[in-house]
Amino acid sequence: MTTLSDLAQPRQDYSYGFMDAYAKRELRRRILKAIAIPGYQVPYASRELPIARGWGTGGLQVTLSLVGPESVVKVIDQGADDSVNAANLRRFITRMSGAETTTDTLKATILQSRHRIPEEVMQEGQALVLQVPDPEPLRGVTADMSKAHQLHADSDYGQMWLLLYEQLVRYRQYIQGASYPSLVNGLYIISPSPIPRWDTPKLHQAAHLTLLSAGREKRLYAVPPYTDVYPLEFSDVPFQVEDQQGWVCKTTGVQNKFMNELPQEDGTSQYELSDSGYAEKLVKNEAVGATYYDDQGDFYYDGYLKPPVQPSL
Amino acid sequence: MTVPPYTPAESRTRDTFLALMWALSYPGRIYQLPDAETNFALIAETLLDLETSYYTPDSHLESALAQTGAKALSTGRAAYHFYTSLGESELGDIREASIGTMLYPDDGATLLIGCKLGSGMQMALLGPGINGQQALQIDNIPEIFWEIRETVCRFPLGWDVYFVDGENVVGLPRGVRVERR
Repeated sequence: MTTLSDLAQPRQDYSYGFMDAYAKRELRRRILKAIAIPGYQVPYASRELPIARGWGTGGLQVTLSLVGPESVVKVIDQGADDSVNAANLRRFITRMSGAETTTDTLKATILQSRHRIPEEVMQEGQALVLQVPDPEPLRGVTADMSKAHQLHADSDYGQMWLLLYEQLVRYRQYIQGASYPSLVNGLYIISPSPIPRWDTPKLHQAAHLTLLSAGREKRLYAVPPYTDVYPLEFSDVPFQVEDQQGWVCKTTGVQNKFMNELPQEDGTSQYELSDSGYAEKLVKNEAVGATYYDDQGDFYYDGYLKPPVQPSL
Repeated sequence: MTVPPYTPAESRTRDTFLALMWALSYPGRIYQLPDAETNFALIAETLLDLETSYYTPDSHLESALAQTGAKALSTGRAAYHFYTSLGESELGDIREASIGTMLYPDDGATLLIGCKLGSGMQMALLGPGINGQQALQIDNIPEIFWEIRETVCRFPLGWDVYFVDGENVVGLPRGVRVERR
């Protein structure tokens, strides 16, 4: 007798990690080239995903090509594990891979992030995947992408220096907030994705691997571990991170970590830690790892950040 | 919804890729491929398909590489070069390998070279991916190979090398400086 199961199509699951084998191989080839040439923007195919481009598909594709059943994944959006974007990406990744998820930076093997690097120092063997909306740091000085490509090839960054100089002339400080252009391995300028200036120094000589991927723009680039990353700065006017002196987290009472400002009805502001995973550990009184900035606000890499200088014009 | 099956092929290629990725991220450190016998074939299965190309002088490896669907191209045009060992003629091939262009340095070839790790020439590696200095000891690689590399690999131009010894693999990206002892 013919049964219903005889007539049914054999079960077809999604490919492991959603992406098919071709997509994964291509992306993996490109990731290896990106690591070999720190800071160089490698083009890749950027496949369709069930999430719209511009919502983290670049980072998602990289994560899906790395993830496995034993992986531990953390996804953050502006520091928060619980925002809608982060929660949806995390749920998709774990559904497609069976990977464990965490909010603890130190437990994660893959950390996908939109616009923040956590406060706790990341370790060797961890992969930080940054979602990048605009990979081209030269877009502000040239609208023509093929010209920008040529400028990178020639290391012709004169216009970037001019841009910084004009900021100093007009405002007596560098005014770029996030995506601060940075020189990787002494050759290519990258946009470190819209992480605040506070996070940019964390890429310098880091123990972990950073992969930056722009799904909409179809380009990815990497900062390998232990690689020099310097924000663009004139030698007499050093780069500064955000000045948040005196900002105290309303929940944990800590200072000198990156804060969200919460405007109050009476016109004042309250502050809370941007890194929600770190805040959660503090609230629960759990052991926290070493942080990039200590309680006095000093960066862990001695001498990297210099005291502020107000340029005289 | 159930998790899609983590098939043996998926597991094999992912483990191979992770070994290659970490080997390139931390040059000079030894990482393990999932299998020692079929090491080159595993790498081919992980990286090659009909969108890319290979070159190998090794007739035993040829059929495994051809099965991936990748194009067999001449030394100057192939993206992935597989050498189970390095002799005089292979060194000639390596001299012709693509180093990319300033506009497209990612066109530089990837070389996979069979060797013996943990004995022979002592070297110190310096550069991106390395915390200070990294020691590497490698055998069955002719002295002249390092001279070719020094002449050819001018960052960002050059080729990226994986040294393969059984299941062990070591990465050497183009930007790393090698000091021979």
